Amino acid sequence: MNTILPLLRPRVFSSINSLRRGNKKNNWSRIFMFGTMGIVFWIGIFIIFYRVLSYFHSVQDFGDILAMKLISMTIITFFMLLLFSNIINCLSQLYLSHDLPLMHSLPVSAKDIFLSRWIISTFDSSWMILAFSLPIFLSYGLIYKANIIYYLIFFMAMIFMCIISSALSGFLVLFGAKILPAGRIRTILIIMGVMMVITIILVLRLTRPEQLVNPDSFASVVLYLNSLQTPSSPILPTTWITDAIKAALNGEARTYLLNIALIVTFALMLISLNNIAADKVYFTGFSKSQTTPQRLFAPLKYKGFYWENLLNFLPRESKAFAVKEIRTFFRDPSQWPQLFLMAALIVIYIYNFSVLPLDNTPIKTIYLQNLFSFLNIGLAASVLSAISARFVFPAVSMEGEAFWIIQAAPVRTRNFLWIKFFLYNIPLIILAEILVVSSNFLLRVSPFMMVLSVITTFFLVPAVVGLATGLGAVYANFKLENPANVVTSFGGLLFMILSFGLIALVIILEAGPVYQIFMADLRGQSLSLMQIMWVIVSFGLAFLLCAFATIYPIRLGEKSLLIK
Amino acid sequence: MIKLSELTKDYGTTIAVNKLNLHVAAGEIYGFIGPNGAGKTTTIRMMGGILAPTSGNIIIGGINMAENPVEAKKMIGFVPDRPFLYEKLTGMEFLRFSADLYDVKRDIFQQKAEQLLQQFALWSWADELIEAYSHGMKQRLIIASALLHDPRILIIDEPMVGLDPAAVHMVKDIFKELAAKQTTVFISTHTLSIAEDLCHRIGLIHEGTLLAQGTLDELKHIAKLGQARLEEVFLSIIKENTFI
Repeated sequence: MNTILPLLRPRVFSSINSLRRGNKKNNWSRIFMFGTMGIVFWIGIFIIFYRVLSYFHSVQDFGDILAMKLISMTIITFFMLLLFSNIINCLSQLYLSHDLPLMHSLPVSAKDIFLSRWIISTFDSSWMILAFSLPIFLSYGLIYKANIIYYLIFFMAMIFMCIISSALSGFLVLFGAKILPAGRIRTILIIMGVMMVITIILVLRLTRPEQLVNPDSFASVVLYLNSLQTPSSPILPTTWITDAIKAALNGEARTYLLNIALIVTFALMLISLNNIAADKVYFTGFSKSQTTPQRLFAPLKYKGFYWENLLNFLPRESKAFAVKEIRTFFRDPSQWPQLFLMAALIVIYIYNFSVLPLDNTPIKTIYLQNLFSFLNIGLAASVLSAISARFVFPAVSMEGEAFWIIQAAPVRTRNFLWIKFFLYNIPLIILAEILVVSSNFLLRVSPFMMVLSVITTFFLVPAVVGLATGLGAVYANFKLENPANVVTSFGGLLFMILSFGLIALVIILEAGPVYQIFMADLRGQSLSLMQIMWVIVSFGLAFLLCAFATIYPIRLGEKSLLIK
Repeated sequence: MIKLSELTKDYGTTIAVNKLNLHVAAGEIYGFIGPNGAGKTTTIRMMGGILAPTSGNIIIGGINMAENPVEAKKMIGFVPDRPFLYEKLTGMEFLRFSADLYDVKRDIFQQKAEQLLQQFALWSWADELIEAYSHGMKQRLIIASALLHDPRILIIDEPMVGLDPAAVHMVKDIFKELAAKQTTVFISTHTLSIAEDLCHRIGLIHEGTLLAQGTLDELKHIAKLGQARLEEVFLSIIKENTFI
């Protein structure tokens, strides 16, 4: 037991050392930037909840019921998030981290390694939820004028909720890893997680939540409340946590003391059980995780058919990169399941346009259709920006420690980057054009808007992909355990800001001339010389901007990657 | 075949390689030895085109690495000290990827790849993902891939790390065969016995400076040691900081 603190030390010292001046590139600027973003987000949550709860509080009876419903919904959501993130973190910390062989070679018990790793995993999974639950419950406290006991109870309830979810996850992971190798569990979890997110998104969207704001849709308050039903069994820890917070808010001492006692004892019992289980099964599971699991899906082979031959039109070097990139992508279980997520987002994107109530608006439909179509270019490009941030920006970093192969090979860095660019640009341009054209069909836009959308997208997507490839090279990190995480770096954020800025600039440049052409067409007039000049200059500038964003970042990336 | 002149790498806080001059002829096996942090890997990485020198020149087969890196690299088979590979490719797929980058003729690839995989005892693993390979297997795969395009120069950092005795024996034989066919082999190693057995000439680097170079006998002469082994020569030269 007295070895747990020394086992935690490497992690604590690593965190402290990473804060040392000059120890890591951009570290303080990163902390400042993400800190500012976090504070803004925190204040945003507080303002929203404060306003919503003020409104609820002003509505007699019904408002308070809604406010309490909101507490239980928040607790259940947080608990599920904690459970999922703890499972993923526990798997990494207990079975997949690179330093585990060293840990297990030390003269310490497997139980102590488990406990130290479990503590780290609990902290990593919980601190953010704890931090962002504060503004929510602070607004409750202020609106309901709660005393200091409420804050104390809330704080205890949250801390023990984190411990309970983490202990439950530890339990699940310990026994899961005994049955299946840890690597396989992570794969299955990632796939399940993606499927769960897709299901939630689809269900939420297809139930058309916008109808909730339409009072005609509900026959009575009872039905409305039933639609907000959340599970609340007395044997669920989430019920105890919710009841403790609610009771503290209403000053019911007996209820909150009982529930807090239930939460604390349950958490302590789970920790003890985890400890016993770890002693029995942790090392067996760890040992199993050292073996390489079989491939989840056997490679598909048809007689005489090789999909690689479909790329024979490419130059040899480019084909080699393309084949390598495609294979790596489809064999990485943290990558390919995200395609399903993308597919779900596309379905919802197009579905949203199909349910737009264009005929029920006071504005003339023809204006609205074409306005939506124009804004749709920006929206599609923004979706593409997000996809690029996830897939294109980390593309160079994904080479990882194997980047020496590219450096040592007779390949120009510029070619390497351009090949990466085209590999992502082609599918993304097709995707963007599908989004824009299909939504334009649903909007029944004019031929001019259709052509404009297709052409603008054709130039805007390469600009976004070029920006992602180039900045991804400038801010490449080949040493990350999970290279996809590079998107959360300073470079990733810079890409998102620049990408949205670029899209906004192109849309602004095109907005004036498009309006002039559209109106002239509607009125059956021709454009004046001045208007024609304006159209040429604006479209020319938009084109130049796109060309610049496509080429220049890749040059920067090339300079940055060139051997130093 | 390899000519380094006034080669320097300054990392700002340390000078890893300081005005290194050396020449390795065709068909020669040159061993580069030195203590940890002496500048061996930095030199090798500069020669492989992975690291740019602060000053000085690297001439590979008459081509300046700084001026025409692509042509220079085509002549090199490079093996780094740590076998990082694309884990999600199979061994055969990785060899095909290398062949495409080094422009190995398509009609000979299959036969050549099969021969190398057989030679390095990896044939039964050819269609397995690299992530399932052991450290030694990865090292063997990298050496096989470095030989795929019949390089005129082989640059290898710590070639025997992770290899079993049989593989060490086989790799030594391969190097000797290659040298006999006029391939230049440049090896950096800590294992002095390998340098002793294999190398025609040995260079001793310490704190970025080439302290001594020559055949084993010449080094013994420099160290003023009669019938000593390379280990004693190494320790003596390092201790005395004997310059060429």
